This record gives sequence, C-alpha cells and structure tokens, in this order.
Amino acid sequence: MTEAALPAPVSAPAVDRERLAAVGFVLPSFVIIAGVFALPLVLLLGVSIVDANGLTFAHYKRLLGTPYYLGVIWNSLRLGLLTTLIAFLISYPAAFALARARGPLRSVLLATLFLPLAASVIVKAFAWTILLRSDGIVNETLMALGIIEDPIRMIFTETALIVGAVNIFLPFMILPIYAIVAQLDPRYAEAASTLGASPVVTFFRVILPLTLPGIIAGVALVFSLSVSAYVVPTLLIGEKYPTLATTIAKAYLLAREPGFGAAAGVVLLAIAIAIVALSARLSREPK
Amino acid sequence: MSESSPHLVVRGVSKRYGPTTVLDHIDLTIRRGELVTLLGPSGCGKTTLLRAIAGLVQPDTGKVELAGRDITNVPPHKRNVGVVFQSYALFPHLTVAGNVAFGLKVRGMARREIDIAVERALALVKLGHLAGRRISALSGGQQQRVALARAIAVEPDVLLFDEALSALDRKLREEMQVELRRLLQDVKATAIFVTHDQDEALTMSDRVAVMNKGRIEQLAEPRELYLRPASLFALNFVGLSTRIAGTVLAAGNGKVDVETRVGRLSALGNFQAGSPVIVAARPEQLRLGEQGEANSAAGRVRSVVFQGSRTLVEVDAGAGESLLAELSGRDGAIPRLHDEIRLSWPVAETFAFPMEAQA
Repeated sequence: MTEAALPAPVSAPAVDRERLAAVGFVLPSFVIIAGVFALPLVLLLGVSIVDANGLTFAHYKRLLGTPYYLGVIWNSLRLGLLTTLIAFLISYPAAFALARARGPLRSVLLATLFLPLAASVIVKAFAWTILLRSDGIVNETLMALGIIEDPIRMIFTETALIVGAVNIFLPFMILPIYAIVAQLDPRYAEAASTLGASPVVTFFRVILPLTLPGIIAGVALVFSLSVSAYVVPTLLIGEKYPTLATTIAKAYLLAREPGFGAAAGVVLLAIAIAIVALSARLSREPK
Repeated sequence: MSESSPHLVVRGVSKRYGPTTVLDHIDLTIRRGELVTLLGPSGCGKTTLLRAIAGLVQPDTGKVELAGRDITNVPPHKRNVGVVFQSYALFPHLTVAGNVAFGLKVRGMARREIDIAVERALALVKLGHLAGRRISALSGGQQQRVALARAIAVEPDVLLFDEALSALDRKLREEMQVELRRLLQDVKATAIFVTHDQDEALTMSDRVAVMNKGRIEQLAEPRELYLRPASLFALNFVGLSTRIAGTVLAAGNGKVDVETRVGRLSALGNFQAGSPVIVAARPEQLRLGEQGEANSAAGRVRSVVFQGSRTLVEVDAGAGESLLAELSGRDGAIPRLHDEIRLSWPVAETFAFPMEAQA
C-alpha cells in the first residue's frame, strides 16, 4: 500500500501509469472489503473483549474453559473435517470422470453439478429431512420392500448430518479439482509410464502432486463452509449437536449475550483462517 | 549382441480407429545403434507407430520385439523405452534434476547412484548448471535438453522422439539436429525420430522410412531415398523434382519410352505399353543445352531463384508442363527470365511412376 502511494522517483512514466491503473482497479473492492468486512470484524473482536467494566477475557475463558463449549468446538471441527474428508473421497474420482466425459454426457454431468447450487441451502436441507424422517421416502421404501419392519432412525443422527452436509457442499469440492484435472496434459502420465512408473506410482508421484492445487482449493472451501454451517446442523440434527454456528445464533437471538456470541464468532473465524492459511502454505510451489 | 543383428522388430502391426486404418501391416527392422526417421505428412500413422513401439497404443495385430524380447503385450513402464515428447511433458512440480532422476527413482536405484547418473545425463546435454532450476524457468531449447536427459538417464533400449524438435525455432532446431545426432552416436543409442520435416530426416538419420496412409512407402538411406525414390509419394515428399505426365509407347530392358506433351522421353521402369505414367527427374540432373542420348525439352524461363551456391530455374515447357533445373555457377551462364532455353538430362536419372499412385 505504502509502496503504491509513494511515487517511485526513478521509474519510467509508463511503469507509473501501470501502477496507477492497478491501484485504480483494486481500489473499489478494497473499499468494499474494508468497509463491510474488515470493519465489522474489528467491531466483533472489540465486542468480544470489552464489556461495561472494560477489557475482559471472560467470554473466551467460558468458551475455552467449559467442557460443554469445548464439546461444541469439537462438534464444529468434526462436522468440518468429516464433511471435507468424505467430500474429497467422492469428488476426486468424480472430477476425473467429469474431465474424461465428452459431448452431451459432460454437459449433463456439469448441469447436475451446477443446478443444485441454484437451490437454497434451506430447501436442500429440508429435502433431506423429508427423505430421512421415520415416515420419509427412504424408510417407506425399505418397509415396502420388506427389508425392514420398523422405520430406522435416520434423521437427527450424526450420519444424517454428514450425509446432508457432504451432499450440499460437494460441488465446492468437485469444481476446483475438476478445473485442474481438465487442464492436466495426458502426456505427463504417458511420460511417467515410459520412464518406468507403474500406474500406481504415476498416480502418487505425478497425478496427485499436479492436482494438489485443486484439492487444496476444494478442501479450503468445503471446510470453511461446513465448519461454520448453521442451517444444515439445525435442520438435520438439531439441539443435540450444538456447533459454534448454532451457539452464536443462540447467544445473539435467545440469550442476548452479544459478547459471548462475538467470542464464539472469533474462535470460529480463527479456525477457518487457520485452515485457509495452512492450505495456502501447502499450495505454495515446493522448492 | 552384434552391431548388425535386429534390435527392434515391428512385424505386421496394424491399428484401426473405427473406419480409419492408421497402421496397415507395418514391418520395420532396426539395428542396434541405428538412427531411423519416420517421415510423412500428418495423419500418415508415424506417431501412432512410435506410440505402438512405446506401448502407449495397443496394436490390433502384429508383434513388437525389442532387444530380443517380445514386448507386444508388455505395458509401457516395463518396456525400457525413452520417449521425448513434442510438448516435452516435463513434470512442472519437479526441478530439472528431479525430472531427470524420476525414471531412476521409480526403478529403485540407490540415492548416490541416482545423483551420479543425473549429473552425467545433465552434463551430456550441457545443463549441469541448471540442475536446481524449476522447469518453468527454462527456455524452450533448455526444456528440450532436459527432456532428452530424462529419457537418456534410464539407458533405454530405444529412444523415441515424437516431433521433438518441431517446437524450436529454425536456427536452434538446425543446431540441435547436428548436436543431437552426434550425442546419440556418442552414447551408441538406438533412436527413432518422427517428423514431417524432410531436412530433419535427412540430417538426423541413418535410414528414413517414408510413410503414407499407414504404410511405409520406402525405407532407405537418405542418399538412396533422394536418388532412387521408390514411389511418386517418396519423390514428392523428399526434395524437388520435374514431373511430366505421359503414356508408355514401348518398354523393355527396364526402360520405357514415354509420349508426353513436351515430346518423347525415356525413363527407367517396367510398364506395359499404353500405361499412363509420370516421368520425373531431380532438378540438379537438368543441364542447359543438348546432350547426346539424353532426354530434353525446351521452353521459356518462368522464374529464376538465386540461392547462393545454386540457382533454381523454372521453365514453362508448354501444355501446362514445367521443368525445374538447379544450375550451379560452374555450369556457365545462368539464363534470364523469358529466355527460350533447352534443358536435357540423362535417361539413367529419369524415373517413371504409375499415374494412379498420385492420388
């Protein structure tokens, strides 16, 4: 910033103009980010450490010192990690299938991936409750087929939560991986094989490293979305699986404890930032 | 294994993609240490043949043997071939040294031996000082050398080059042709080049296989290929020529007399009287003026192109036919545009090819 603001005394006029243009292009988004994102975050941080008596860390002590709230943090992490892991395991082969598909098949596959993004998260979460509840489609079908006699409890279990979350966040994992795989030159695998690498060795030494940027982007997206998900746990599992997101909502809406809600928000943000920073570090080119 | 015994044998290899026959019963035998070029236009099957040898394409019929081993059904990673791709396909996530070491690492070679082999391979292509560089930091010519070092490092039984020089600019390409040939001869490599560039084929190879429509039209040393083309296609694809259509009047003793629109010409060849043929000669065989028993034709000079040591003269011989002569300064006066001249050339250097082969 300072570098752009200070005129470089020795640089040619053309370079100055280029730099000026760059600043001009960045400025609007910078103002928006600073105004509507960074500023509220600073306020949030302030609310979480200041109360009527001045500076306090009571909210953080409560959050990080109470077994219940440590459980809440663990629930959020668990939701984020499980969703990300399962979404990755499904998405990686799917991205290759998508990249290999040709013609109409590819269009259909891409459409099935993009169309759900147009539907609201609430609609999709409700759809899962309709499918999974005890008089839902899955139970009715299984009973009609005589496979089970009594409905299985599916809704309001952790399995339902993870299945729903994976389903809803899946496109955010597939798309970045697909974008990388689609551009992957098939000659790399051929070169590896002629150099003596078996298909398995080729996968781990060439394909996986070359698609790593897509994996990291997908992991960062899906983790930050699922760790902070609110609608999905609320509708698919409810009270018995409190997460940071539902705790924040409760603190603001029911308990009227904005300080505590802000502290929970800061912790959630810290977790998400840690994961994104880790991803950025991993995706940096190896030496 | 002796120097002249067959090292790579391709026998009756065919490949079809749907209705298209890409390789049509290809037979090819290459000796140890030989440098062979597959030369032909795009779509002639040369790259498919190379990929079949590398194991990247499974032929429908036929066999491939390498170093005394039937490798027809051996997957590429067990074939011990080295491939230099047109796009180089260098691994962008590895350094120069990492790329060269790749084939040795997957073979489970000891770390110290790998280091020695990598150093040697990079020294061979004069890139030892760039071992730690990233691939993206290299020029096209340097990448080409890394790809070569990577393929050579594993000491393959055969090196395969798929249009490997075509991405370089002309001057660099010509330098690399000479250097690469010397390098391959030094390490006694057996190599196959695929190219559509006749100069590259003639410069690089001990023998050239001219390919057309999935077949090898002629497999010969560069000199023989030029002086004794086996088909009209081979004649057209390598070097320049004068070509005149005509009909065989009389035949015998391996010679034919042909009636053409520029007069009666004699040529080498065995045809029945009445056959439609193309009579052809290389431009350096054509001389100014009459020569005893030789073929000759007259016309008006249409163009004169000075090319340093030689001058190309094109003559309009009337009736839509033209003659192409390459005259050197020693032949005396070079004719000027619109001059009426007569050109003659020896019967022994005149070929006849069947007309229908031109399709």
